[in-house]
Amino acid sequence: MATPEIYVLGGYQTDFARNWTKEKKHFSALMRESVLGALATCNIDPEEVESAHVGNFAAELYCMQGHLGAFFTEVHPAFSGLPTGRHEAACASGSIALLAASAEIEAGRYDLQAVVGIEQMKTVSAGEGGAYLGTAAWYEEEADGVEFPFPKLFGRLGDEYDKRYGLKDEHLAEISKINYANAKLNPNAQTRTWYMNKEHALCRTDDNAAVGGRIRIADCSQVTDGAVCVFLASRAFAEKYADRQGISLGDIPRIKGWGHNTARLRFADKVLESRDDRYVLPHVRSTVTSAMKRAGIADVSGIDGIETHDCFTTSEYMAIDHFGITEPGESWKAVEEGWLEIDGKYPINPSGGLIGAGHPVGATGVRQLLDGYLQVTGQAGDYQVEGAKNIQTLNIGGSGTTSCSFVVGV
Amino acid sequence: MSDSSSTGTLSGAAARKILKSRNIERVVVLGANGTMGYGSAALFTQAVPHVTFLARTKAKADEGLEAAIKQVRSPTVASRSDTGDYDNDLEAAVAQADLIFEALTEDFAIKKDMFDRVEKARRDDSIIATVTSGLSINALCEGRGDSFRKNFLGLHFFNPPNVITGTELIAGDDTDPEVVDFVDVFSRVKLGREMVRTADTPAFAGNRVGFKVLNEAAQLAEELGPVLVDRLVGPYTGRALTPLATVDLVGWDIHRAIVDNVFENSNDEANATLELPAYMAKLMDKGVMGDKTGAGFFKRDGKARLALDIASGDYKPVEEIALPDLSYIDDVASLYRQGRYEEGIQAFLAADGDEAALARKVIAGYISYAFHRVGEVTETITGIDLIMGAGFNWAPPSVLVDTMGADSAVRMIEEASLPVPEILSKAAASGEPRRFFSHPVINIGKYFVAG
Repeated sequence: MATPEIYVLGGYQTDFARNWTKEKKHFSALMRESVLGALATCNIDPEEVESAHVGNFAAELYCMQGHLGAFFTEVHPAFSGLPTGRHEAACASGSIALLAASAEIEAGRYDLQAVVGIEQMKTVSAGEGGAYLGTAAWYEEEADGVEFPFPKLFGRLGDEYDKRYGLKDEHLAEISKINYANAKLNPNAQTRTWYMNKEHALCRTDDNAAVGGRIRIADCSQVTDGAVCVFLASRAFAEKYADRQGISLGDIPRIKGWGHNTARLRFADKVLESRDDRYVLPHVRSTVTSAMKRAGIADVSGIDGIETHDCFTTSEYMAIDHFGITEPGESWKAVEEGWLEIDGKYPINPSGGLIGAGHPVGATGVRQLLDGYLQVTGQAGDYQVEGAKNIQTLNIGGSGTTSCSFVVGV
Repeated sequence: MSDSSSTGTLSGAAARKILKSRNIERVVVLGANGTMGYGSAALFTQAVPHVTFLARTKAKADEGLEAAIKQVRSPTVASRSDTGDYDNDLEAAVAQADLIFEALTEDFAIKKDMFDRVEKARRDDSIIATVTSGLSINALCEGRGDSFRKNFLGLHFFNPPNVITGTELIAGDDTDPEVVDFVDVFSRVKLGREMVRTADTPAFAGNRVGFKVLNEAAQLAEELGPVLVDRLVGPYTGRALTPLATVDLVGWDIHRAIVDNVFENSNDEANATLELPAYMAKLMDKGVMGDKTGAGFFKRDGKARLALDIASGDYKPVEEIALPDLSYIDDVASLYRQGRYEEGIQAFLAADGDEAALARKVIAGYISYAFHRVGEVTETITGIDLIMGAGFNWAPPSVLVDTMGADSAVRMIEEASLPVPEILSKAAASGEPRRFFSHPVINIGKYFVAG
């Protein structure tokens, strides 16, 4: 029996430039705006939603609030009594929520699921937030007492590339530049008004201070408040939905393939494990290729655009060869050839990615899927990849620990 | 004026085609030592490889460049810029420029003299934009040659432009529509602006509507005092910064220039609310100008925040000023805090007491005034909505109407004895829900600040 299809009906992203603490808003307002926005955008009645999955990393720390699935029921009276739950896998939390919702549709339990990725992070200072993010690593081993542990871990990813293949700062700066430039085209991107260019990304003054090894401010993703809600549906619901929207079923994008792997927590162990491998993070490679395989796509030439996890420029640099755009260690070629730009051969992060669009940790995986949906339905506006049919996401938790990937396409 | 809001109409491939129709390689900023001059110049260095900062002296232009670097916190501004003075460098720089951006002081004669020199020196294909916030675009280019008038328009950034994206685009009667479209797309895509096209009317759209509310708040302060007024027309009414704190930030002199311009050069139904309060003129004579002189409606004394006592001209600690019961504001704010904006605004509408009624009167005035300006300052309410949102960070009038419902809006305006815009009474009478705010992306929730 063929695996049941998972349809993506669309969704809603909050403006990632907003600071909900400055607006004096509670976490529940963020949830509420994303879900009500998605219902309105997708023309779905609250009564139709059967179940909800919430992806979130650390609301207990940032907002002193757990039990997040239950907050879904606060959004609308019709939601009272719905089965809900919360999923956590650090920065991959949103994708884990999507996987769980998909699995329930495949199992035939529900026909219409809401998936909310959400994180409110500006409740605390940068230093305190940096320590919270350290809990995505093995805290005691890698983060305790370290200021900004994650830039340092991903700095080490760059060091590993440098050791094995060589790595130039100018290639990382170019990655930063492209993400910021794309973000200017995305009306929901956090950095859309920020000042950035390649020269700035390369500058070595306090305006672009070092935060961890080779990682400087311009190499980093952002501290972001944001939520994204999407609706996933079974074929039965999608048929009904297509009818009433006056579109054909074939116009509704599907999750064609997925990948999911978890590597050992400590970065040192990952590197040790891969020392004889061509790929620095072979489990990430496996996530990418298994999603392609499930989608019936042979290699990256069948992918029209990528939304990848550029928590730092080094993670995007890693993604380039792990997607198979270049041979391992040759990601720089794609950078130099201009392949990564929106109208390039392999557009990466037309949305601006985590560096440009922002990184509300638990929301990112869901935001990537929604951007994939917008691309393949031709609704991405100024950051549209012309004629995109298949978009692949890569969402990573920890230092390359939990990897998830989706191929969304029509 | 073709379309009051350009958002979405010139996007994607169409926008890219327009963008490719011209090359902006060199920009000259005139008056680059002023706040709007250096702020705009910094913005241009984001998108243009070569920006020339010009001022009366090279030293002044250098100061502008320093300030630009500080504002956007990037030393790379310098590598894209050079500086010079009007006497030695203007003609050569203007002759090379693809875009000449005028940001001189708001004085008609000074600008006119500058345009005499610009017209002689410029190439026929260069664009001339003025950042004026009040002078007439048609008057500024009156009597000039065809090429100048075809390529001349208003490009009104708000201060500081690196933070506030709302921008007004004002074509003159003779501006080439292709130039207007190009500057629109260029500003939106390359400079990250939220573009609104307005008519060449006094103070254009944003300041016309915005300063009406600010001045009304200043008028009310004479009797109620600044603390109560800022509480009543505070964040819960749809703005992050309270109105009188805004006037202090803008500067009382700028406030006066804008409201005097509108008061004298327009004659609309709310003209009286645009008359500068006499006490402001009197205090300005004594040097009270707002934050720039350290004292306005409010001032700081160490950690203490003091408020102006208008009758005496003295300042008192804010916490020593007795206020009536305003607990309704806390009720509204706690609903906003949970994202319950519709319920919050209904609580505002239902609140008892003279104070709540006064607050509703100001908000009713804002909505009534904005909707009555449609057809005069912009073609549709959307243009006014976008500039109030992206230029002032205020809840756009349509957002308030949509959130409370047209029938509630009409009732509120009637209770305030203000003229009800026809489009609202029609929508209320139809009984059909209708949304006035049309923007595909903007989160309206951001305007409802829970405080």
